[in-house]
Amino acid sequence: MVKLKEIAHARSGDKGDISNICIFARKPEYYKIIKEVVTAEKVKRHFQGMVGGDVERYELPQVDGLNFVLRHALDGGATRSLRLDTLGKTMAAALLRMDIDASL
Amino acid sequence: MKTIRIGGGQGFWGDLNEAPVDIAENDAVDYIGCDYLAELTLSIMSRQKEQNPQKGYAGDFIKVLREILPLLKEKSIKLITNAGGVNVKGAVEAARQAVKNSGLDLKIGYVLGDDVKELIPELRKQGVQMKNMDSGEPVDKILPGMVNANVYFGAEPIIECLRGGADIIITGRATDTSLFLAPLAYEFGWPADDWNALSTGILCGHLLECGAQVTGGNYDFDWRAVPEPERIGYPVAEVSQPGQLTLTKTKNMGGLVTTQSVKEQLFYEIHNPEQYITPDVIADYSGIKIKTTDQDHVLLEGVRGKPRPDALKLCIGYAEGYRNTAYLPYSWPDALEKAQYAADILLKRLKNKNFRAEQVRMDYLGLNALHGRLAHEIKNELNEVVLRISVKTKTMAEAEKLSPEIAPFILNGPPGSCFFGGGRPKPEEVFALWPTLIPREAVNLRSFVEEVK
Repeated sequence: MVKLKEIAHARSGDKGDISNICIFARKPEYYKIIKEVVTAEKVKRHFQGMVGGDVERYELPQVDGLNFVLRHALDGGATRSLRLDTLGKTMAAALLRMDIDASL
Repeated sequence: MKTIRIGGGQGFWGDLNEAPVDIAENDAVDYIGCDYLAELTLSIMSRQKEQNPQKGYAGDFIKVLREILPLLKEKSIKLITNAGGVNVKGAVEAARQAVKNSGLDLKIGYVLGDDVKELIPELRKQGVQMKNMDSGEPVDKILPGMVNANVYFGAEPIIECLRGGADIIITGRATDTSLFLAPLAYEFGWPADDWNALSTGILCGHLLECGAQVTGGNYDFDWRAVPEPERIGYPVAEVSQPGQLTLTKTKNMGGLVTTQSVKEQLFYEIHNPEQYITPDVIADYSGIKIKTTDQDHVLLEGVRGKPRPDALKLCIGYAEGYRNTAYLPYSWPDALEKAQYAADILLKRLKNKNFRAEQVRMDYLGLNALHGRLAHEIKNELNEVVLRISVKTKTMAEAEKLSPEIAPFILNGPPGSCFFGGGRPKPEEVFALWPTLIPREAVNLRSFVEEVK
């Protein structure tokens, strides 16, 4: 097992109560792995209890990346949230904690 | 071939004031765009304007302007900003004074009409729905608490100012991207329905609007490798033709531009990459290819556009109660246990004061305040931890109940605590946002250019 952090880099941003997290393979050969393993369902499970809504995934093959859109993810959004990280800037790192089976 | 070079001088209101000046001084750009507005900014500015009618814009911009004016003149750089917030006239007046004091001769352009707060009741009467874009709920229940209502507008009124010869252009809620599309469309004469060309300007704006976040700031790929982060170079885009642009950074400064730094910003705050909706064009990022052409030079090709949406986005900010947040540190030994014990005592005290909250949240900084239940399990005892309590209430009086409760813990609570910052915590007003749509014809945007000597 490795953390997703070892094979991908990421950034997260906010629009209202939606958090988007884009992740990119650290090497082109890792794209196949993240595309196969980091599914929308898996991301939804990963954030269970933290993200209330659906998770959508968009594939970005030309940049070896994936974009995740997480709804009801920021406790109502930056303006109303009681979170320390109101904007969800650290959501990217939270996703990179995911365990990945390195034998893939 | 004609090439236009644009600098991105500001990522938000609160970014480095010296950044736009550094671009003007160290590089050779034709334009600098400065984005000051985030989703919440206009609500904060509206409250400031209620207390002082001369406020309501990004005052920092005037500080920037005083520094940068001689460079604008000397190097023929034009400066475009949405620093006007909810008081474009106030910002223009302050800018006019700054230009006068500099003794220079420059033209100031500005755009009015995005602030539609006063028009909302009339628009409702005319049957404009303004349902919430996300939830579909009707707007009327939030209108009594309305703080601001601003339309996100595109490049056209800014282009109008450029045609009038403006050197400095100040707007309210122009979209971040329009500040950068406007000079490109103006310089290259892109028609208002050349969607692929317009999308190039949107891409340019999207990459530049967050300042150094594309030149080594917030760089997850390899943050240790960023040269001279203490004088990070802000981004510069070079555009010669529709469909492609080269991203680089301010010459003779730190930071970096790599394919990875560009990727991280390219999809920042993007949802469907085929549908990046702006008032000017719907940009499609799905076909963009990225490659390094030289040190700190990255070429992006393949952005496309689709016809612009019929309606404009309107964002109504409204009051939704108050928030108060306090911090209480605890040291080894038993730091976490003590902080949790203090949290229990605090909740009992608030209950005894008949405290009524909409929401109460407890976190432990150093343990789980950022990643919640995803945080690692702590195997060793923490050296120290900070209890954070944040509450949301309907009234200011309720929120204030938390304020005097924290400091006494240092004498009255579990051992080993101290002050965190100065003084009692102060409640702040909470604003909620109502994103909706408004027909283009309901909005009357007007451009002005005046000479200041």
